[in-house]
Amino acid sequence: MSRRNIELLLLVLVGVTATIAYASVYAARSHELSRDSVTTGAVFVVLFLVVHLAERRYLAQADPYLVPIAALLSAIGLTEIYRISPALAWKQGEWLLIGVVLFVATVIVVRDVHRLDSYRYLIGLLGLLLLAATAVLGTNVNGARLWIHVAGFSIQPSEFAKIAVVVFLAGYLDENKEMLSVPTARLLGAPVPPLKYFGPLVVTWVLTLLMLVFMKDFGMSLLFLATFIAMLYMATTRLAYVLAGAALFAVGAGGAYQYVAHVHERFAIWLDPWRTATTSGYQLLQSLFAMADGGIVGAGFGRGYLLYANHVPTVPELPTDFIFSAIANELGLTGAVGVILLYLLFAWRGFHVALRAADGFSKLLAAGLATVFGLQSFIIIGGVTRLIPLTGITLPFVSYGGSSLTANLVLVALLLMVSHRSEVLEAGSKTERLRLAELA
Amino acid sequence: MNRAIVRLFVVGVILMVALMVNVAWIQVFHAGSLRAAPENHRLVAQQLRVKRGRILGFDGSVIAGVRRRSGFYYRTYPHGPIAPQIVGYDSARYGQTGIESSMNTFLSGTDVGASGLVDRLLGRHSPGADVRLTIVPAVQKVAQSALAGQVGAIVALDPRTGAVLAAASAPSYDPARIDTTFPRLSRQRGAPLLSRTTQGLYPPGSSFKVVTATAGLNLGKVTPTTPFVDTGTYPIYGGKVTNYHGEVFGAHDFTQALTYSINTTFAKVGTLVGQAALIAQMRRYGFYQTPPLELPAGLVYPSGRYNGAHLLPTGAAMDPLAVAWAAVGQENVLATPLQMALVAAGVANGGQVMKPYLVQRVTSASGQTLLTAAPSVWTTATTAATAQTLNGMMQQVVNAGTGTAAALSGIRVAGKTGTAQRGSSNVAWFIAFAPADAPKVAVAVTIENTQFTGGDVAAPLAAQVIKAALAQAALP
Repeated sequence: MSRRNIELLLLVLVGVTATIAYASVYAARSHELSRDSVTTGAVFVVLFLVVHLAERRYLAQADPYLVPIAALLSAIGLTEIYRISPALAWKQGEWLLIGVVLFVATVIVVRDVHRLDSYRYLIGLLGLLLLAATAVLGTNVNGARLWIHVAGFSIQPSEFAKIAVVVFLAGYLDENKEMLSVPTARLLGAPVPPLKYFGPLVVTWVLTLLMLVFMKDFGMSLLFLATFIAMLYMATTRLAYVLAGAALFAVGAGGAYQYVAHVHERFAIWLDPWRTATTSGYQLLQSLFAMADGGIVGAGFGRGYLLYANHVPTVPELPTDFIFSAIANELGLTGAVGVILLYLLFAWRGFHVALRAADGFSKLLAAGLATVFGLQSFIIIGGVTRLIPLTGITLPFVSYGGSSLTANLVLVALLLMVSHRSEVLEAGSKTERLRLAELA
Repeated sequence: MNRAIVRLFVVGVILMVALMVNVAWIQVFHAGSLRAAPENHRLVAQQLRVKRGRILGFDGSVIAGVRRRSGFYYRTYPHGPIAPQIVGYDSARYGQTGIESSMNTFLSGTDVGASGLVDRLLGRHSPGADVRLTIVPAVQKVAQSALAGQVGAIVALDPRTGAVLAAASAPSYDPARIDTTFPRLSRQRGAPLLSRTTQGLYPPGSSFKVVTATAGLNLGKVTPTTPFVDTGTYPIYGGKVTNYHGEVFGAHDFTQALTYSINTTFAKVGTLVGQAALIAQMRRYGFYQTPPLELPAGLVYPSGRYNGAHLLPTGAAMDPLAVAWAAVGQENVLATPLQMALVAAGVANGGQVMKPYLVQRVTSASGQTLLTAAPSVWTTATTAATAQTLNGMMQQVVNAGTGTAAALSGIRVAGKTGTAQRGSSNVAWFIAFAPADAPKVAVAVTIENTQFTGGDVAAPLAAQVIKAALAQAALP
């Protein structure tokens, strides 16, 4: 079976699953849901078929599992959002439409990721500008500055900036990996690679700290730095970078804990949410209580206790940061572990694409994107389950939020392009190879 | 590079496994203690899965009903708020109060019928039992609207049984919206959540003179016709007791002393009676005891002499000046509107104070009666003869004295006004019962923070409530 047919088969299964999930919510809450609201589910199926057709046309040899995994995660997210607020689900459906348009546009415009490498510095600068714009123009929400409001839309630029930074790092590190691996200079008596190659890297590191200080965005800052270190390690295979990066982050985090009240509070909640059970610890405890009610299998979509009588969610920020708690409540341990496994599967496919890629840039790009995706899921799931301090970032494809959804669809598009290229180079037809060669 | 990528993926797998282990810990191994944590109100919310019993008015109409929504049952209040401080709220977030709390075992079905182990394992619950109150919504609504815009309380009892017909407290709140309004209500000035009828402790002022008069008549120290002379001041123990607004009444008898609420005369009677007999008389009306309403502990306060927030023991020492002032309802004497209604009810019921109650009947979902109110005497305040005398004297208050604003055409009303100073404003009282020859209703009205007297602001409200109660075809 061809890759695209495998994908279609899987997408059909996801479509059936999504329909059952939606119907389950509708059955449980039919008295307060209008029949029209079910159409969001139909829109979902059509949109992923559009993605599939775009792949058939342009990325025939790309990995067949990434899109179905993304679709299943979106289906779970959309169903849970629909269950919490049908109006919000409709908006998320609109964002999905925009995301699919962006996905198709990315595929058509970029075609081959290597063309992005030519604009490496421009893209890196764009990422930087996005973050700078947030720091300057952004509005404060819950103590962190993550959003800018443009023409009635709330945009979270860091979601797009993370892709730009990965593209930049993939190009830069691939070009300079030898230089960064060989110690030629000495700093404080220790052998280090030539300092001039560090310029852009220092900029990246300083950036993460600035994010922490000015945007108080602990989650994104952690995500950027960890992705940065991971890519540095993959490019140079030198563990010293990991240790140095970890030490730097520890210093940064320690400083933030001391001097940034918002960060300090997050740590205090993590260490002991019970002490502030009615104030700052309330949200995290409600998340844990909601999950504890889920048990092993949960009550099912639409049947958990997630809303008060007045439709206020029992856990604040339920459709966005705490969507995982809602899923764990309604689907129990089974559903929660299922979702985590889906992220692991996605990361696996991403790393698989990286391993099969023919050149260093493609490898670093695919591995970097897989890392940023997997880490983001880990940070937020770890946060709402109190494994690590809670920082508000979105759960890719599942949380309500337009920036996250559209940015992650672009991320998938880039992974698919890397995959398509390496598969064509390995075993593609003559026409496919020719078409790829024309792009270069 | 590939080896580094594989290593990184292994790290990723470890992180994801850590997540799964942690989730399993929360959802399975640690779930029990998370569910049992006192900070966790979700268990109360789980009770919403059971069809909760309704709370009905005496007329059978629904005060707190249930509506099913997405597998949960929610409270509805078809009348709007009816005595919310007494009926209470049932909130998944903020728990329960009032009848909702004290009758929870019936309402939630845990105490109803044979719900065996198998039923529990299958998650089957008996639906809750209906609790029918003595509160008459028609009377309660009149009491609530009478208090609109004021701060105060109204209690109406059936003196023959002790049934609470109405218990209104203002300012009030809407129990239907408690989930969103609670944080604001709990901090709001005026304390809308406070059950003023049972928790509001006020100086009773002259309404307390009924208690003093009872003691004087019982001991034979005075009769209705005992003559007194008022000079505007009663000097005692280095101090003095004066009349309201410095009025001087001259020669009068004891009936007139009550009719016009003459402080100096009641101070003299208090002195004649003495501390021990006065306190004993208070006890016989129910002071120093917590009225045994079917409400959670802490929702009903005992009346008596207080020092700050503490009820003083009955034997606490008082000097003669203190006794004289206590006899006119000042000097640390504090009473709830419920207690003063019980005083009026005791006089109305021939000296017998019936045990106050709120729950008329509890009926299981299958129609089985689980509990029925059985009226009984709570305490005997005085003899039938003395009660009859007091009844006549209190009628004079409404006919010719300070309480004329409570008069109703065709119905003889007996009452007593009270105006106690608290800070720079007054607490205005009126206690009453009617019809005086065959009492069916006894009321106490308390208005806080007013510049007016009990006769001005409290007596007209008492008249409204009495009229509404007597218009009822049947009372508990």
